[in-house]
Amino acid sequence: MATPGNTSLVDLFAARATEAAAKVERIGRSDSDVRAAVVRATDGLSSLVVADGDFLPPSVFTALRTIPQVIPKPTDDQLASADAGITEAFAGVARSGSICVAMGPPLRSAASLLMPLHVALLPAERIVLRPRELFDASGIGAAAMQRNIIIITGPSATADMGPLVRGVHGPHRLHILLLE
Amino acid sequence: MAAPPVPAEAYDAPRTVANKRDKSALLRAIRMALGIESAAVRRNTQNFNRNRYREAAALPDYEALKDEARAIKEHAIGDLPDLLMTLETAIRSRGGNFYLASTAADACRYILGVCQSHGAKLVVKGKSITSEEIRLNHTLEGAGIEVAESDLAEFILQVADEQPSHNVAPAMHYSTERISALFKRKFSTSEPLETGEELTKFARGRLRQKFLNADVGFTGANLIAADTGTIMLVESEGNIRMSSLLPPVHISLAGVEKVIPAQSQMGVFLELLPLSFNGKLTSYTSFLRPPLEDPPFALAGRPRKKREFHLVLIDNGRMKMRQDPVLQESLYCIRCSACMNCCANFQTVGGHAFGGETYCGGIGGAWEAGTGTLENARFSDLCTGCSRCVNNCPVRIDIPWLNEVLRDRLNRSSAGSPLASLLGIVSFVRGDDRRASAQKVFFANYHWYAKWGTRTRGLSNRLIRHSTARRWMQSLVGVDVRREVPPFPARPLVRAARELPPLARVGKRAKVVLFPDVYTNYGLPQRGVAAIKVLRALGVDIVVSDALPEGRAALSQGMIATAKKHARHTADALLPYLDEGRDIIVIEPSALAMFRRDYRHLLADAARFELLRTRTFDPVEYIARLSAKSGRPARDLFDVARSPVGTRLFVHSHCQQKTLGCAEPTEALLREIGFDVATSSVECCGMAGSFGYKKEYYEMSMAVGDDLFAQVRAAEAPEAGGARALVASGTSCTEQLHAGLARPVLHPIELLASILKV
Ligand code: SF4
Ligand code: SF4
Repeated sequence: MATPGNTSLVDLFAARATEAAAKVERIGRSDSDVRAAVVRATDGLSSLVVADGDFLPPSVFTALRTIPQVIPKPTDDQLASADAGITEAFAGVARSGSICVAMGPPLRSAASLLMPLHVALLPAERIVLRPRELFDASGIGAAAMQRNIIIITGPSATADMGPLVRGVHGPHRLHILLLE
Repeated sequence: MAAPPVPAEAYDAPRTVANKRDKSALLRAIRMALGIESAAVRRNTQNFNRNRYREAAALPDYEALKDEARAIKEHAIGDLPDLLMTLETAIRSRGGNFYLASTAADACRYILGVCQSHGAKLVVKGKSITSEEIRLNHTLEGAGIEVAESDLAEFILQVADEQPSHNVAPAMHYSTERISALFKRKFSTSEPLETGEELTKFARGRLRQKFLNADVGFTGANLIAADTGTIMLVESEGNIRMSSLLPPVHISLAGVEKVIPAQSQMGVFLELLPLSFNGKLTSYTSFLRPPLEDPPFALAGRPRKKREFHLVLIDNGRMKMRQDPVLQESLYCIRCSACMNCCANFQTVGGHAFGGETYCGGIGGAWEAGTGTLENARFSDLCTGCSRCVNNCPVRIDIPWLNEVLRDRLNRSSAGSPLASLLGIVSFVRGDDRRASAQKVFFANYHWYAKWGTRTRGLSNRLIRHSTARRWMQSLVGVDVRREVPPFPARPLVRAARELPPLARVGKRAKVVLFPDVYTNYGLPQRGVAAIKVLRALGVDIVVSDALPEGRAALSQGMIATAKKHARHTADALLPYLDEGRDIIVIEPSALAMFRRDYRHLLADAARFELLRTRTFDPVEYIARLSAKSGRPARDLFDVARSPVGTRLFVHSHCQQKTLGCAEPTEALLREIGFDVATSSVECCGMAGSFGYKKEYYEMSMAVGDDLFAQVRAAEAPEAGGARALVASGTSCTEQLHAGLARPVLHPIELLASILKV
């Protein structure tokens, strides 16, 4: 079976993530492109938390920290009440529209969980076709899978109260910035 | 004539009928579920079910994935003692604590000890059905510790004081309206509590405070990898992530069966588990190797404590299940709930009726028996053996077989009755099997009554229509008076076949033997006659074997020794025909399924089973194969214009046909001939052999049937083109359709016999 080329993987990812109620935006990968996209995504919010990455150049995060609403060194109570968290995702899964976040580095878990909006930065070349590929010993996920990881598919949701409601304990909105 | 509405208070509370050791609790639970919970249960389970089918159909290697998952679990349960040692080392090497609890009480004691050593006042809990099994909340609350259930479904159950009704969506029996009424009764708040959004917002607000203030976070685990100690946690609300991240102490509880050898094997389950629930990945799947390296939180002005992790695994009967040749298989279960969502009976009553104190659905009986006592599994009487769950289970557990064995063990453990013994002796039931109820002994030996009923049909047919005799049947052997017992025929199939003209021209065509199953032979012999006519017309050399009970009736009543005897005799009688080069045709799908599936368990010789499995066919399936093989299109053999019932059909395939894969060939053949075919998408008609005849299950059986009747009506709506002729292959489906719609029902082979061109 031929593996689809990266273009179709990215398209499939974007379609499936959108079906899972994430917002997907394809952007350039320069520091200023990313900064501008985050500013747009967090428009109107007053407190942002940025967690450092593993794969994207550090300059991206330096640029993000110059956004005025970013809390430079948040206390735990500020984390619990901030409006949005910005993290890197180490992989995307096309078939399910999921992103994968490795935890551990300071703020990564909190920024992907505690705030009503999670903005995730996903490099387009880090998308695999199906979930199980994350476990391939030589695949994209190999290094990250040695850590604590979370596979995120859309915002938090429940159907326990009857209809499907998005936004429960975890983020109510998931905005994926796909870096091409 | 609509009955006046029954007030909710008139029903038993779910908790009071959770324990069904006493059968009257089961009957009260069914009544409660049909009265209050059925609508929400149906909507939710059928939704999950549709979503699973859709996604599974889109996954090209679904079957291979199931094989892989099954192999991993077989290996894991086989090596369990070693894996537990490996896992302990992995957990401890990272500074975690590992505790293997032998019993529920032992696990509760350990967990309470951990909480008390931290002076915990508040434990925030993610969903864990295993914690329900050990009644953890009871222990913690008894010691003065507040337990906050943070999964919204568990939150509802905690407020309502009810047990789970489903293993994945434990409060799916609640509609928005009922949650709204519950919350208004239990909470005094000015917040609006009407819509799903409002109820979610209210619960979220309360629970956010609990997360921030909790001393201990508690979660279950969906799977645990022995090599790395990784725990997999599946959820969609974010409460499990909160519970494992925010409090300094994390306790994870799981049954020992959740351990698999390696983290690298988790990818298979990452795909299969959510797929088998609702089709898609849920919002969050965590793979954690706690204690987390994340810096601990110091929230709400509390001191920053070092992170601590405890993995508590429980045995509580599982190691004994592992030694049990039958129950062992239930340890492969990954609690995906597919077997509940695809089960027509479960869809109608949910886990408060089709379930025990913790576990529910088809797989629930084995779990209740394994972690409790055999009597706890009495509710698994609601498994009709329809087999719909078999292909949907991601680890290929033969769930109906588990329930048949549990029934057998329950029969054997009961005292028996004089009537059952008498019925058993006259109908040659095997010794211990006579300890079942008189009702079970009667249904298991229907062939015997059918044979004598046919021989004395003048009298017997008057009796089965006579109201006093029917009331006697109801009180002695539990056949519901509202069910019509089909009249005994003038000539059973075996005799009728002798009077048919022989095959005119014998070519080199196929050779078959028609096995006259009891339902066809003594119930609807015209179906067998039609099969002979069609097959002869197509040049098939067909003979009819002796009529024998193939064992379905005995198996479904949990009389395995008798079923084995029937299977052996049937195999002895049919194998010589196979030696002659004949394939076997079986008309009744539940009998066909014995040859194709159930004899695996009943025949000692695997090679004989394999022969029977591969060479036994449904008549229409066989015709479709013949037509494909000969290259003669079906339209050359049959002329739709001759149809006595018109060209518009509603075809309801039998549950066993669907599982065996002979529903589609039948539907396809009819379409190819030129019929306009509407099909049912229900999993089962609700009659399911003897189930719907039993007086205690009549209402439930008809409630299951409602979905089928509604589908027929929808397919016959004026905008859908109006009336259709009803077609069904199963004897019990035919009875059920007739009971619900009061219309004649044809077997597809009867239809084919009437439109033969050749
Ligand atoms: S065999 Fe049928 S009735 Fe029994 S659990 Fe499976 S789906 Fe339900
Ligand atoms: S028995 Fe199979 S289908 Fe049922 S919950 Fe377990 S794994 Fe899922």
